[in-house]
Amino acid sequence: MTALQVSKVSKSFPGVKALNNVSMTIAAGSVHALLGENGAGKSTLIKIITGIYPPDSGSVMMNGKPVRFANLRQAAAGGLGVVHQERNLVTRFSVGENIMLDRLGASALSRVDYAAIHREAETWLKLLDLEVDPRTIVSRLSVAQMQLVEIGKALSLHSRVLLLDEPTASLTPNESTVLFRILRRLRNDGVAIGFVSHKLEEVFDICDRVTVLRDGVNACDSADLTTLSRADVVQMMIGRAERITKRAPRAQPDVPPYLQLTGYASGAGHRDISLSVRPGEIVGLYGLVGAGRSELARAILGLSRQLGGEVKVAGKPVHITSVAQALHQHGIGYVSEDRKQEGLILLHSVLANSGITLWSKLANRMGFLRDSTVNAKVAPVLQRLELKTPSVYQTIGNLSGGNQQKVSVAKWIAAGVKLLIIDEPSVGIDIKTKAYLHDLIHELAEQGTAVLLITSDMPEMVDVADRILVMDGYRIKGEVENDRNYDAVSKAIMGFIHNHAAA
Amino acid sequence: MAAPANTDSRLTRAFDNDWIGPGIVSFAGVIGISLMQPAFLSPFNIFVLLSAISVNMVIALGQLVIIGIGQMNLALGSIGGLVAISFAGVMERFGVPVPLALGLALGIGVLAGMAGGYIIARTAISAFIITLAGLQIFKGINLGITEAQPFYGVPDSVKAFGTGSVMGPLPWLVLPMVICSFGMWYLFNRMRIGRHILAMGSNPHAAEMSGIDPRATIIWAHALSGLLAAVAGVMLVAKLQIGHPSIGDDWLISSFAAPVIGGAVLSGGRVSVGGTFFGVVIIAIITQGLVMFNIDPFVVQIVLGVLILWAVAINRLREVRVARLQARGTGA
Repeated sequence: MTALQVSKVSKSFPGVKALNNVSMTIAAGSVHALLGENGAGKSTLIKIITGIYPPDSGSVMMNGKPVRFANLRQAAAGGLGVVHQERNLVTRFSVGENIMLDRLGASALSRVDYAAIHREAETWLKLLDLEVDPRTIVSRLSVAQMQLVEIGKALSLHSRVLLLDEPTASLTPNESTVLFRILRRLRNDGVAIGFVSHKLEEVFDICDRVTVLRDGVNACDSADLTTLSRADVVQMMIGRAERITKRAPRAQPDVPPYLQLTGYASGAGHRDISLSVRPGEIVGLYGLVGAGRSELARAILGLSRQLGGEVKVAGKPVHITSVAQALHQHGIGYVSEDRKQEGLILLHSVLANSGITLWSKLANRMGFLRDSTVNAKVAPVLQRLELKTPSVYQTIGNLSGGNQQKVSVAKWIAAGVKLLIIDEPSVGIDIKTKAYLHDLIHELAEQGTAVLLITSDMPEMVDVADRILVMDGYRIKGEVENDRNYDAVSKAIMGFIHNHAAA
Repeated sequence: MAAPANTDSRLTRAFDNDWIGPGIVSFAGVIGISLMQPAFLSPFNIFVLLSAISVNMVIALGQLVIIGIGQMNLALGSIGGLVAISFAGVMERFGVPVPLALGLALGIGVLAGMAGGYIIARTAISAFIITLAGLQIFKGINLGITEAQPFYGVPDSVKAFGTGSVMGPLPWLVLPMVICSFGMWYLFNRMRIGRHILAMGSNPHAAEMSGIDPRATIIWAHALSGLLAAVAGVMLVAKLQIGHPSIGDDWLISSFAAPVIGGAVLSGGRVSVGGTFFGVVIIAIITQGLVMFNIDPFVVQIVLGVLILWAVAINRLREVRVARLQARGTGA
C-alpha cells in the first residue's frame, strides 16, 4: 500500500530550478532511501512534503489523498513525522514532557499532570527499547538517546509516515545498529520510513527502495534496491560528465609549496593530514558529505585548534589562530560553501561586500575609509569577473546566485590572496556561471594563486583540479593525478572511498 | 516539580538551584548590615523594606514572564503607570467603587500587554522595538490624561491597604506579592501555558515543531506581563496614596536586574521565581543599607550596575560549563 506519493513535483527559485518533475513513492512497511549529493534537491523535496514550501506544480499524496500542509504542525497532525538533522528538543525539560509537549493540557491554564504524561511517554520509550526514565532531563541524554526521543515523539502523534533526515550523522556505529533494529521493527509494523543519508553502507543495510536525485531530477524513482549494486547507486548520484572536458592537463610549476601540512591534526577531528598546494596549482579535495573537507578548510583558517603536526606557509612554520591572521599575515582566503551565512552580508552593497577584506589595508592613518578608495581597488576585479549589477551600491541580496558567488570570489581577489580555498563554488548557481567560475579559477591559478578546491560535484572536480586528494572520515585516503579522463579518474576516486567502506 | 532522575549528590543539585546563590547573599547582607547598624532590623525599617520588596517583586515578575519567552518588555513601567493613573483617576473623577476600579485597572493592564503581544506575534518584529513604541504611546496617553498632575482622590480603604500592616512589621502589600509569586511559580512549573512559554524561550523552533502555537503563547506572555504591571501599579497607588503620573518611570532597570541576579537567562527558557525574589531582596537591602550609612544615592546606581554585571558573569560561566559538559557527552 502506498503511504506517501510525490508525483511530478517541480519547484523553482530565482535563478535556479531546484526540482523538475520529481516523483517518489514510499510504501507502507518499507524503508525508502532518498539519496543525492549536495544541491541535488533532497532538502527542497522534504520541505515540499512537509509543507514548508508550496510546489510550483505536481502533488503530494498521503494514503491516497492529496495533502498540502500549511506548516509543520499540520503535517504532524496529518500523520507525517519528521526527524530533522538538528535536534528539536527543549533540553531543559524532561523526556516525557518533550514527547508530550503539545498535549500538556486541554487549555492554556490547565494543570500539567506530570504523572500521566510520564506514564504515557513511557509506553513510547518502551516501544523504542529506550531504557530511560521519562522524568530524565533531556540535556542529560546522549545524542543517540535524544534521536530516539525525537522518533518517539513523532510516533506518539501516530505518524504512519516517518521522514528521517540523516539520522545517523551524529551517531556511533553501535548506536546506529540499535536505531536500525528499531526502524526495522517499525517497518514490520507497517510504518513508511523515508531515510536520507550519505552513508551508502547504511542505505544498503536497511533500505528496500531508493530514489536518487541529481541536479533536481530523478536519477531513479523508487527503484528496488536489491537489483542495484553500490556502484550503480554511486553512478546515479554523481552522474556522468555532462560535457567533454575541454581543458588539457596543465603542466605543474616546479616551485616549492605555498601551503604545506605535515601530519596535521585538528580539534575538529582531523588526523594525520598531509597535503601541499603550490603557487599556480589547483588541488582538489574530494569526499562525500561528512568527510571533513570544509572542516579542514576552517581548521587551516584557524577556526579549530591545531593539535599536532606542522603547518608551513611559504616554507615557514606558522600557527594560525584566527581568520584575520590567515588573511592579513599569510594571504589565505576562503570562499565559503555557505554563501548566505558566511560568505556575504546580504543586506549590504556590492561595494561593501567586495571591499570588506581591504578595509583595514585601505583605511588612512585616521582610520577613515572612503568609498572611492575602495571602489578604485574593487572595480577592476568586478569588471574582470563581468559582474552584472546596476551599480556597486546595489544590495547584494538582490543579485542572482551566480553574481553573488562572483562577489564572494572577488573580495579575495581584490585582497590579493596567495592561497584561495574555494568550497563548493557551484552550489545553487546555473550551468553558465558555473563554467565561467571554472574558467576564473583556472585564470587565477595561471596568475600564480594557489587554489584548494572543495567540491562534491565529480564532473566539476575532474574539469578543474590538477590533482585530487580523496578524503573520508577526516583523513586523506589517497591522491589521484587528474588526466581529465572522467571514467578513470572517478573510478579511482570512488575506489579510495569504497576501500574504506569495505574495511 | 517533577523530580528528574538525577545522579548528582544532593549538595551539587542544591547549588544548581538558581535561588541558592542570591539567597545566601541576601542573608549575609541582612546579617552584615544589621551587625553594623542594629537599626536595620527595627520594626519600622523592616516594614519599609517589605513594602518596597513587595512592589518590586511584582514588577520583576512582570518582566520575568517576558524573559521566560526570550523577549523583553520595555513598556512594563508605562503600562503600570497608565494603570495607576486610571485606577486613581476613575475613583477621584467618577467616584467609581474600589472593586470596580480595580477590575478596570487590571483589565487595562491585560489589554495593553495583549496589544503589544499581538503585534509582536503577528509581525514577528522584535519585542524590543514594539515595546519601545508601546512605552512611548502609553506614557503619552498617561500625560495626556493627567496633564502631568497627580490624582489625589484615593479612598481611605486603598490608602490603608498600602500603608497598613497585617500585624507588627508585616505590611498588607505583602499579600498581593505572595499571591503573584506563588501564582507565577505554579504557572511556570505546573501549567500548560507556563511550560509553553519556557519551551518557546528555550528552543522556539522545537516548540513550534512540537505543535505549540507560538503566536498564542507570545500573546499570553505579554497579557500576563501587563496584568502583573497593573497589579504593581495599583499597589503603588495604595502605597504612595496618590495616582502620580511618574509611577512606572523607574521600573525598567530593576525589573531586569532582579530576574538576572536570580539566575534568569535573557535568551529565554530559564527563569526562577525564588531567585528573582532574592534578587529583589538584594537590591532592596543594598539601596536601604547605603541610605542608612548616609552614602550618596548615586552610588546605589553604580552598585546596581556592578551587581548586574556580576550576575550575568555567573550565568555565563554556568552556560559555558554546561556547553562543555554537553560537548564531552557527545564525544565531539
